[in-house]
Amino acid sequence: MNNGQPTVMIVDDEDMVITSVRAFLQLETEYNIAGFTVPEQAADYLRTNPVEVVVSDYLMPKMTGLQLLARAKQLQPEAARVLLTGHADKQSAIQAINDVGLFQYLEKPWDNAQLLLVINAAIERTNLLRTLRSKITELDEAHSNLKDVQARLLRAFL
Amino acid sequence: MDEEVARLRAELETANRKLGEAHKMASVGRLSAGIVHEINTPIGSIFSNNEVTVRSLEKTRALLEEAIRQGSPPPEKALALIDTMIGLAGIDKMACERISGIIRSLKTFARVTADDLRKFDVNELIRHTLKLGGAVFRRRITFHTDLGELPEVEGYPGLFGQVLLNLVVNAAQAVEDEGEVTIRSRAEGDHIRVEVSDTGKGIRPEDRDKIFQPGFTTKPIGEGTGIGLSICREIIEDQHGGQIGFHSEAGRGATFYVRIPVRQPRKSE
Repeated sequence: MNNGQPTVMIVDDEDMVITSVRAFLQLETEYNIAGFTVPEQAADYLRTNPVEVVVSDYLMPKMTGLQLLARAKQLQPEAARVLLTGHADKQSAIQAINDVGLFQYLEKPWDNAQLLLVINAAIERTNLLRTLRSKITELDEAHSNLKDVQARLLRAFL
Repeated sequence: MDEEVARLRAELETANRKLGEAHKMASVGRLSAGIVHEINTPIGSIFSNNEVTVRSLEKTRALLEEAIRQGSPPPEKALALIDTMIGLAGIDKMACERISGIIRSLKTFARVTADDLRKFDVNELIRHTLKLGGAVFRRRITFHTDLGELPEVEGYPGLFGQVLLNLVVNAAQAVEDEGEVTIRSRAEGDHIRVEVSDTGKGIRPEDRDKIFQPGFTTKPIGEGTGIGLSICREIIEDQHGGQIGFHSEAGRGATFYVRIPVRQPRKSE
């Protein structure tokens, strides 16, 4: 599903949340939406498919949202991580921010306008990070090329 | 002197009842974070769907008006939007059913019924308990029921429900990570018996004598009050003339049982 549009991953063990968020994003945006009710499947998807933002519930069976976001951080460090939870406890929020480098913490019931703002900002950040990373790679390459040239020059003149 | 004793006894009974009621609220309170989560999810969906439906209606209207102006057939896009709205209405219905189910179960436990001796259906009370406990713990606990055919039981359903909720919450909390909780009910002659088993950590031999004592808890501060089981015992033994007990092996789970008579002896007039 690559049409040049960003991909937003939504993970929630409640199908109704995915359906609602999908309907909203499809109405307001052109984004690709990857919805998963099973966090392990979401993690598998992240192995091979680039996404711009991961929005995850906190309380889910087998794997919590924090565990999933930690996996997402390993697999796709640039993809922004958002927790959308009905479990409003400060401890999990603090842990999320500290452990998985959370981009935003949202509470259920969520506000669509705010959710869209967060998703748009997250996509922009991810794109900036990816551009930055590719620029750094280019710089590294240019740098090593220059070193080669320098070495050759030195060899030629000495 | 007798009058004084009677007055003090009445005061003590009132205080006891109040403690029981306070604890009933506390045992529902132990579940409140989970209940909030369970309600906020469908509410989030309903809010979102409502907004999407309004926006979709506006778009559909604009598309249809345009088609009318042009004298062309209704556009495909308008039909797709209508399909989306039908889908969302279905989700809303499910979400409302979910919320009202939780509220119905909550009402069972919020009712103060210390005084009304009446007939009730124990299995139905078990189902309400599981609906509430199940909603909160379903992500890590698999609940099983094995409900036998029971006669209607005479007793105090509000208090008895409190015992069931306490036993189910205790069982679920005894399980670390994932596990199972099973509730069984059986008729035994002129008694009924309910058992709540878990696959949790079990009860250590040194704790077994103290488990029904008020103030005894193995739970961390803030999680257990240490009065749950002592109140359960009071409700089962003193209010219903029944028995409460458990068997357990450390590391291999525990089974708590309660047994109460189907009819309560008439209080002497």
